[in-house]
Amino acid sequence: MAESTIQEKQAQETKPREPLFGKKQRKLITDPLNDNNPITVQVLGICSALAVTTLVFPSFIMAIAVIFVLAFSNLFTSLLRKRIPSQVRMIVQLVIIATLVTVVELTLKAYNFDVYKKLSVFIGLIITNCIVMGRLEAFAMANKPWQSFLDGLGNAFGYGAILIIVAIFREVFGKGTLLAGTPLEMMIIGPSSDYWIDTTTSAMFGWYMNNNLFVFPPAAMFIIGVLIWVQRAWNKKLIDVS
Amino acid sequence: METLNIFIKSAFIENLVLAYFLGMCSYLAVSKSVKTAFGLGLAVIFVLGITMPINWLINEFLLSENGVFGTDLTFLRFILFIAVIASMVQLVEMVIEKFSPELYTSLGIFLPLITVNCAILGGSLFMVSREYDFVESLSFGLGGGFGWFLAIIAIAAIREKIRYSNVPAALRGLGMAFILTGLMGIAFMSLMGIDIVSFTSAAQ
Amino acid sequence: MFSSRYIIMFIVGLTAASALVLALLFTGFKPMHERNEGLFKKRAILAAVDTKLETKVKNMTDAEVEDIFENDIRQIALNMNGETISSDEITSRGYKGGQPVDIDMKKEKKKPEPDRILPLFVYDNNGEEIYIVSVRGNGLWDEIWGNIALEDNFDKIVGATFDHQAETPGLGAEIKDNPKFSENFIGKEIYDEGDYVGITVLKGDARDGIHEVDGISGATITCNGVTEMIVRGVKYYQPYFEKQNIIN
Repeated sequence: MAESTIQEKQAQETKPREPLFGKKQRKLITDPLNDNNPITVQVLGICSALAVTTLVFPSFIMAIAVIFVLAFSNLFTSLLRKRIPSQVRMIVQLVIIATLVTVVELTLKAYNFDVYKKLSVFIGLIITNCIVMGRLEAFAMANKPWQSFLDGLGNAFGYGAILIIVAIFREVFGKGTLLAGTPLEMMIIGPSSDYWIDTTTSAMFGWYMNNNLFVFPPAAMFIIGVLIWVQRAWNKKLIDVS
Repeated sequence: METLNIFIKSAFIENLVLAYFLGMCSYLAVSKSVKTAFGLGLAVIFVLGITMPINWLINEFLLSENGVFGTDLTFLRFILFIAVIASMVQLVEMVIEKFSPELYTSLGIFLPLITVNCAILGGSLFMVSREYDFVESLSFGLGGGFGWFLAIIAIAAIREKIRYSNVPAALRGLGMAFILTGLMGIAFMSLMGIDIVSFTSAAQ
Repeated sequence: MFSSRYIIMFIVGLTAASALVLALLFTGFKPMHERNEGLFKKRAILAAVDTKLETKVKNMTDAEVEDIFENDIRQIALNMNGETISSDEITSRGYKGGQPVDIDMKKEKKKPEPDRILPLFVYDNNGEEIYIVSVRGNGLWDEIWGNIALEDNFDKIVGATFDHQAETPGLGAEIKDNPKFSENFIGKEIYDEGDYVGITVLKGDARDGIHEVDGISGATITCNGVTEMIVRGVKYYQPYFEKQNIIN
């Protein structure tokens, strides 16, 4: 980022104190949920996490991990923003992110080993999740800590929401369950009496079979493609931004 | 033989983009024309091919219990891996700027973004979890890079053509790119029939 | 602008601070990590005798798992000649804990066959001995492994669990995800009138009902991998049982 823009932003910061949850702050959180969603509009951060969306529970944990990493890396970067030499800012940002991701990994390994095993390398890939770097570069380097923290939360929520929507589709249609691997596990549709809809006895759903395609990676692509379609058909101003 | 298998497997069957979604950001953003896609693809092959062996050495001789320090330093793995990747990308950037200024301008901001291309870090992390040796990790790096290259060239070519098609307005651009990637993923899945196990055992 | 000296100091300072935080966290969590890894393995082993347990392994607390392992399971480590080996020898092979459960089958599989060591778990089911053996082989993408429990003088299978590194979800991965696949193994026998035959996973319908089980359609290579893994892996244990006069 050019030196001059940083100075401009810094000049703006000498305004009177803002409320903690004013309209502007709320917008920081709500904007990324729809109009400026990191996945469907900014096209950032699809990389690391979609491979984990075959089940809802690991996706949920992944979303929490991203929320933690993004909010706090935004906060720390913003706190240090006036001291970070611009020549090496990328390395500095990466060190901050990598540290936070390692914290997440170590904690998860200690408290939920099963999910740690399932997510395996994809936890580490939060480091290269473009949303994190993107937000640090575009927002945290030029804004105050509290706003940066909120911006991080908002973007991570927008990201997590898409992750969980995709996971719900994939788990229900691919495996016939919801929240498998947790005490809340729901058996929705399948060929035995353990499920709510038993395809072996139900007259209406006798034809139904779990669709293996939904477990395969391409399904996630189709689902996001369709989500983008639906979102843009409904929110016309987003059409053709890319 | 095992080395060749890993190359084939990582390039075609377990394609980093189409099977693991790694490197999607730049894959979607830079795939509007074949020419830039080609340049970026080459850069990715190069960076992957060079960072994997370096990260292998770091993991084996610095971080593991049998390494120089004699203690388990795996908690520094992420930081060191990403530092190696960032410096290698810097190197590639300087080389391209010197030898092909034209490519340098057209790749623009996406060159530094290779650092945060998940395919690069992902490759190194897969290498650790699959316990490859030095030669295998080199082969995995080159194979994975080649697979990524193939995928981005293919999607760029399709996107160049599809510009003339009558796609619903809301699906145009990004939405269509996702669906195309899904279809390509299915096409690549048909290569699963390549029987790696009997391939290997026949060679033994 | 910042001076080069400042930049270097900044980077060094930041990295040192992060490394310190991570080192503290890592040391703090280490006992929990090791315990979790151990429990993960122990649960997989116990799951092979699930049918003989009062509560399913899935519903057991960590303490219960440790308790059964402590009281009802005898651990033995064997070399390829069927001789038991001491705790010191396990340690000298690089497994710090020195217990048979610490043996990493993944590392053993990479060694030449005669040099390998094997863990054997004997579950005491009210006086009757059930032997749990660990096997490891290749699936379609990567390695597959499992634990198989045998009763009746090392002949009849009472349970089996399988796991995999990277089999295809919905196809090969069903060896782990679909409980019906491992249930098929229960009651099957690995000896045919004294001759070792192992278990064959068949594509279509298993006919003889004693040495064959139904496979998963669409996952032929993974199923062949399971067959190969069992036939080869269970046989590794045969010398020990011959020496003990449990089988002839």
